[in-house]
Amino acid sequence: MSLEIDVELPLDRFALRVQERIEAPSLGVFGASGAGKTSLLELIAGLRRPSRGRIALGGEVWLDTERGVFRRPEHRRLGYVPQDGLLFPHWNVRRNLLAGADRVGGDREIERVFEETVELLELSHVLDRSVTSLSGGERQRVALGRALCSGPSLLVLDEPMASLDLGLRRRLLPFLERVRSELTVPMLLVSHDPLEVQTLCDELLVLSAGQVVARGEPRRVLTDPDVFPLAAEQGFENVIAGRVARHGVDITVVAVDGASLDVPRWPLEEGEELLMSLPASDVVLAMERPRRVSARNILAAEVVEWRDVGREALVDVELGPVDSGTAGTRLSVQVASSTPSELGLEPGLRVYLLIKATSFRLYGSR
Amino acid sequence: MTELGSILWLTLKVAGVSTALIALPATLIAYALARFDFPGRRAISALVGLPLVLPPTAVGFLLLRLLSVDGPLGRRTLGFDLGLLLTWKAAVLGAAVMSIPLVVRTARIAFEGVDPRLETMASTLGYSRLRTFLRVTLPLAWPGLLASMILGFTRAVGEFGATVTLAGNIPGRTQTLASAIFSAQQVGDSARADVLMLIALGLGLVAIWASERLGADRRAFDRPGVGAAR
Repeated sequence: MSLEIDVELPLDRFALRVQERIEAPSLGVFGASGAGKTSLLELIAGLRRPSRGRIALGGEVWLDTERGVFRRPEHRRLGYVPQDGLLFPHWNVRRNLLAGADRVGGDREIERVFEETVELLELSHVLDRSVTSLSGGERQRVALGRALCSGPSLLVLDEPMASLDLGLRRRLLPFLERVRSELTVPMLLVSHDPLEVQTLCDELLVLSAGQVVARGEPRRVLTDPDVFPLAAEQGFENVIAGRVARHGVDITVVAVDGASLDVPRWPLEEGEELLMSLPASDVVLAMERPRRVSARNILAAEVVEWRDVGREALVDVELGPVDSGTAGTRLSVQVASSTPSELGLEPGLRVYLLIKATSFRLYGSR
Repeated sequence: MTELGSILWLTLKVAGVSTALIALPATLIAYALARFDFPGRRAISALVGLPLVLPPTAVGFLLLRLLSVDGPLGRRTLGFDLGLLLTWKAAVLGAAVMSIPLVVRTARIAFEGVDPRLETMASTLGYSRLRTFLRVTLPLAWPGLLASMILGFTRAVGEFGATVTLAGNIPGRTQTLASAIFSAQQVGDSARADVLMLIALGLGLVAIWASERLGADRRAFDRPGVGAAR
């Protein structure tokens, strides 16, 4: 995607000012509620007009106040997925999915996209159901499918999982993952869930009081000293991708880049790929390999860098033996701000990580 | 009995024509009041509601002044005679004006019950304003709109004050159910008044039953999530 945003819009308590050019195929917009995320999204969708600005997607100018260009929302080819789905209650699932399909092209093309979407999102068994009878997760999948069937040039997801409980999120996430990895539609995800943006976004933009305060690779941005305090209450959580290696009696062994991890026994198939989360504060750093401890995981790692985030410090490490050649999984470890100097941490130093199996949470499987 | 039949027929004709006449304009006014903020919105809302709070005979008399020979819509001003007064058409006019407030109010509530975010959603899917109205707003508001028509119709059936003032109470020509009951009671013909009253009662019960049914249909569209506060 090449999305050009240069807008200014006075809001109640501050002015939204964003001037960015985005090339990443999947962009996350992160920020506390009231930071201006939804307003930015409404500007992009054309539901609101900025006092001044320009918005263009892939050279197609959607808005240019100087030249008096304003493309109405119905002409922007946007696939919009709001947090509550907003399905049309008087139509069944099939009609909802096809609601915007006629801008895709001819009948054959519509059918191809429709079938592709139904398969991708596993909706074939609910097609003739009334949307009022769907569960929350199914509803969001239909909303996502409706957006995909409308041939969008940009997919806009406004906290698509915010209305779901944790269990349902875990089940919806793989579908969003699939959309991101299997389709070429660029994606814009508004979220205040650090796990969600780490999983789904290539690049992250952080809004605070209407201003972009940080931008970059999601894990990097979320552990940024300016951004970390915004989500400090929940702390930072690592998202780790892996594959089920085998099941033990009471644990499951998951292979990740640079290590294998003992995690709680999860009901997954051997070989199944998964995403799990690990709070940065649940990891203990040791300078020597400890022996005879209860923690199931004692992992060799290499210090990449560390930085102060208020009273804490975040130490980035890479799993795996030093000089193994392949890039290991990166984790952030939260310690007290005085710890790095007390331990004499420096880039390239070998350390050991102690992690309890129960610190890992299954976040999604695919 | 044929005489009763003609009263019933005229009543239904007046109410039917009056309802058909105001259906489109009242619906559009209701939609505009429910969805848009425009200069004069309050004035239109007040004007449309006025017949509800005025004595019907006052409304009838106002219309009579407008249509009288020297009035703004009279023969001298227009140069020709509209030929409404003391005909069934005058009864239609009186009934239409008197039922507009009820129809607009009910239809407005029906439109306000449709989550505007669904319309926004439709626009992001490529729907023009007109298409959104026809495919999303109208079908969702439909039960309420139909109920508004039924209420308008029954209001027209029961219209008396304005109708009598404009169209008179001429048996066989402008005498409707309401004015016939009044006449029968005036001349002390209780038996006749009873029959007419029972007919009116029947009509009213059917109308109430129908609008209740539509209310039940309407609830089927409600679901958690739509219109949730953000």
